Amino acid sequence: MIEVKELSKLYREGQGIKKISFDVDQGKAFGFLGPNGAGKTTTIRLLMGFLKPDSGQVTINGLDCWEQKTEVKKLVSYLPGELHFVESLTALEFLSLIAGMHRNRFQIKKNQKYFINALDLDSKILIRKMSKGMKQKLGIIAALMLDAKVLIFDEPTSGLDPLMQRVFIDLILEEKKRGKTIFMSSHQFPEIERTCEHVGIIKEGKLLAIKSIWQLREAEYQTFQIEVESDEDLELLKESQLNLIPLQGRSCIIRVAGELDSLWMALGQVHVVRFKQHSLELEEAFLDFYK
Amino acid sequence: MNRALFRAMFKQHKKKIAVISTGIVLYEGLLTWVYPVIAENPAVTEIAVSLPTAVKTVFGVSENARTDTFEAFISGQFFARIWVMLMAVYGIQTANNLLAKMVDDCSIALLLSTPISRSEILSTQAAVLIFSGGILVTVTILGLFFGASRSGITICHDRYVRLGLLGFSFFSLIETYSLFFSAWFVEEERALTYAAGLTLIFYCLDIVGGLSNKYSWLKKVSLFQLFQPQEVLEGTKNPAGSIVGLNLVSMVLWQWAKRVFESQDLAI
Repeated sequence: MIEVKELSKLYREGQGIKKISFDVDQGKAFGFLGPNGAGKTTTIRLLMGFLKPDSGQVTINGLDCWEQKTEVKKLVSYLPGELHFVESLTALEFLSLIAGMHRNRFQIKKNQKYFINALDLDSKILIRKMSKGMKQKLGIIAALMLDAKVLIFDEPTSGLDPLMQRVFIDLILEEKKRGKTIFMSSHQFPEIERTCEHVGIIKEGKLLAIKSIWQLREAEYQTFQIEVESDEDLELLKESQLNLIPLQGRSCIIRVAGELDSLWMALGQVHVVRFKQHSLELEEAFLDFYK
Repeated sequence: MNRALFRAMFKQHKKKIAVISTGIVLYEGLLTWVYPVIAENPAVTEIAVSLPTAVKTVFGVSENARTDTFEAFISGQFFARIWVMLMAVYGIQTANNLLAKMVDDCSIALLLSTPISRSEILSTQAAVLIFSGGILVTVTILGLFFGASRSGITICHDRYVRLGLLGFSFFSLIETYSLFFSAWFVEEERALTYAAGLTLIFYCLDIVGGLSNKYSWLKKVSLFQLFQPQEVLEGTKNPAGSIVGLNLVSMVLWQWAKRVFESQDLAI
């Protein structure tokens, strides 16, 4: 559905992307991960036909994203990374505007109600009076209500509270069940992990790797914060072959790659007072790529 | 043109249009209220006649124009300078807000993600701009009719309608080239600088050209030469040629703006 071949776009300042290639099959979700300035948003701008490629090709459903940009947008709904609206409108007026700029506006308005309820948005508030999180919800509703075949989301959960992040992931999973193709850039590994089959890792404009989620899980580090009962217990842990970073008191951080057998064996010899697994951060999951 | 976008964009500017309209009507009301008093005082006319040509030029009064008519009064006090500058500032600023500012702050991204072409979006923005300019011109002419009738001033309505049409075409051209700069630079500050700068150059050429015979040729290259309200109101000049010319240039610029915007790289 989405095909990117040898795509390059460099800005005057020298930033941009260089010879990026990847495919996203119909009904699949592709996560695009990388640090700030890596080229994620540039790639999305090229997919949306906002920028003309310097070289290479980018197509959605066989349509060239630059030459046939208006046709492409009949298939796509988009959520920008930095959301800016026509501030003098209310949320409902804005959604009506977006619906009015599409052909099937009546169906869109039906969908709109469903997503407004799901994301619990007060649609009568003026956009300029909304918080960042509310604006993010509005952007997500505007994108999902279109029922487009392809969803292109640039950091969709930034500004959402954890509860709404979970609601968003559930909505995305529903869309996936309905056969949507999803391209999503993010800093947050958990949302990519739960929604995408494949992940592209980009750094300094170059696509470093494309991995399936299970390949990443194999290679991922897991981090645990552990507090033991005595100094002797802490010494025992230090003597084990684990990757251990001491903290204050009798606490330490242990990082384990792959299977956890070695961790359980070491912990079996000590008295554990507190055990906490850290959520996986992007930097940890892709540490090797960023070194 | 997209109707939903037109409605949303017009809503954004309607307060500004209402405020400017009110200001224009009140000012016209004031001028038409004081004119009968001034007209009864021959000293005022004598002062106006004795003014040097250069001073008349600054107030937009032609060298050989009469100074004892309502048309001379309303042109000098309003149409020739204040109205022109007010409408030019409105056109330049609104054109900038409708395009370059929206690209600059990325609020156009969600609109461009819809299956409406860039040209159609630009056409809609232009329609908002031209329509709102049309409202201001209409309010100006109707406000003057109202003020004149309340103060018992006899005017030739046809000539004022002709001035309205000339003004509409003249301001539409300023709005179109402002929109063109917005499409070309897609950057608020540069677009505003170029549109305001060009208008100011035309204005200065008009003023400097009227100060001395040596520089009178400068007036001919100024766009403001096409907008001579007193001559239109006194019936000494038919504005039809100017209206056609201004509209033709606007249409050419408009087509060019669409082509430029369609191929612009937009980092939004």
